[in-house]
Amino acid sequence: MFDISPDHAIGIYAGLVALAAALLALRLRPGRRGLPGTVLGASVLLAVSGAIHLGLITTHLREPVTVALFLMNGTGYLVLSQAYTWRWWRPASAALLTSTLIGYLIYIAFGFDTPDQVALATKLLELTALGLVLVPVRGERDRPRRIIRWAALGAAVPLLTLVTTATVWIVDLARPDATHAHAGAVLQQSNAVASPDQVAAAATLYAETKAAITPYEDWHVAWAAGFRPGPTNMPSTHWINQHNVNAGYVLDPAHPQGLVYANTKHGPVLLGAMFQMKQIGQFGPDPGGPLTAWHEHVNICVTPFGGFEFSFMTPMAVCPIGAIDLTVPAMLHVWIVPNPGGQFAIDIDSAVVKNIDRS
Amino acid sequence: MIEAEVRSSRPEAAFVLLLLQAMFWVIAGISALPFAIAGEVFMIALGAASILLGLATLLAAIGVLWRRRISRRLVIALEVICLVGSAIHLAVPIGANRGLVSVMVNLGLPVAVILLLRKPKEAFS
Repeated sequence: MFDISPDHAIGIYAGLVALAAALLALRLRPGRRGLPGTVLGASVLLAVSGAIHLGLITTHLREPVTVALFLMNGTGYLVLSQAYTWRWWRPASAALLTSTLIGYLIYIAFGFDTPDQVALATKLLELTALGLVLVPVRGERDRPRRIIRWAALGAAVPLLTLVTTATVWIVDLARPDATHAHAGAVLQQSNAVASPDQVAAAATLYAETKAAITPYEDWHVAWAAGFRPGPTNMPSTHWINQHNVNAGYVLDPAHPQGLVYANTKHGPVLLGAMFQMKQIGQFGPDPGGPLTAWHEHVNICVTPFGGFEFSFMTPMAVCPIGAIDLTVPAMLHVWIVPNPGGQFAIDIDSAVVKNIDRS
Repeated sequence: MIEAEVRSSRPEAAFVLLLLQAMFWVIAGISALPFAIAGEVFMIALGAASILLGLATLLAAIGVLWRRRISRRLVIALEVICLVGSAIHLAVPIGANRGLVSVMVNLGLPVAVILLLRKPKEAFS
């Protein structure tokens, strides 16, 4: 969702070319005078959206249905972008924009395409164009049907914005690509099946890490070593050693950047260690191949309130007020308690934490 | 034939963009609430603040539509804050999203609203 599919990149270039051409076409048409700026703006956005759709045909030639839909949409948008003096321009444009938005959502819901930045940007242009097509302007003549248009604008644009964002988000969460292990986490890529050497290396890393952090089962020892807890209002808490973070140790069992404790009624119970890279965008060494793949949390909205609470950035790249989106440097967990997801899984199973709390 | 008298439709265009921006904040606010249920209690406040900001933006947008000078000033101030905040946020190396949609929503949209409301001032009372 936050990447650009290689086969969609051409849409950006087509859109940029169409933007220049549409602005030039507006200048050359004397009929534009006396028209509201909203109509002219919608005309430009329709031209850009149309060009993006037509541009995408070249990379989808093996998908006849998709090509037919792109061709219909693109041609329709381009024709309407130049037909703004036509009496039925507004109803026709609103109908095509709405049906395209809804059609795209059905298309991705059934898995025929995956949302990416080009698709989302196009939907953004279409929503804006729909608003500009519908919004009544002061001083318009020729029975502008103001009440109907206000009602359509007030209902359609907010509703379609909400439905588009929600559908894209649900589809992205329900069908993450191969690099996204779970929401907001990008997994380091490696070979599919671990080799015997990688299995042995992972076992060595696990044994060395477990031996090194066992003294920290007593949280007082961890505290004395410089580990400090993050927010404790969750079932488990990461305790970070800022010295180890700043020193930039890389996958050093004796110097993990963090420890993870379950917050139980008996006090903190050690669950495992966390190794973290110092720089954003760098994965660490991966001795166990797919067994010890690092992960990076991207596009998360973090707030300092409550000791760094977080949520996920919306598909429209907005965070709640008071939070900013950032990427957390790559990390690798080593769980020393039995974890159904594995010894190096991204997360500890919540049932494991609950069982520890109950015991 | 669609025609209008020689009057600016910039406030209407700004209204459409502000309506979208308001919706983005409301959606961001709603999206924070599940995290609050999961134990991140401060996300309730952040989610509620985002929803309220979205509603306030919508009210200001209606004021712009009615050519209210105070609404125009409020909206320009809000967009300048958003623009400066987003520019700093995207400039610092914290791994912020610099994708197409992020640039369009967090930089392009505020710039467009500011340019639309920059003039004509006389249209506002």
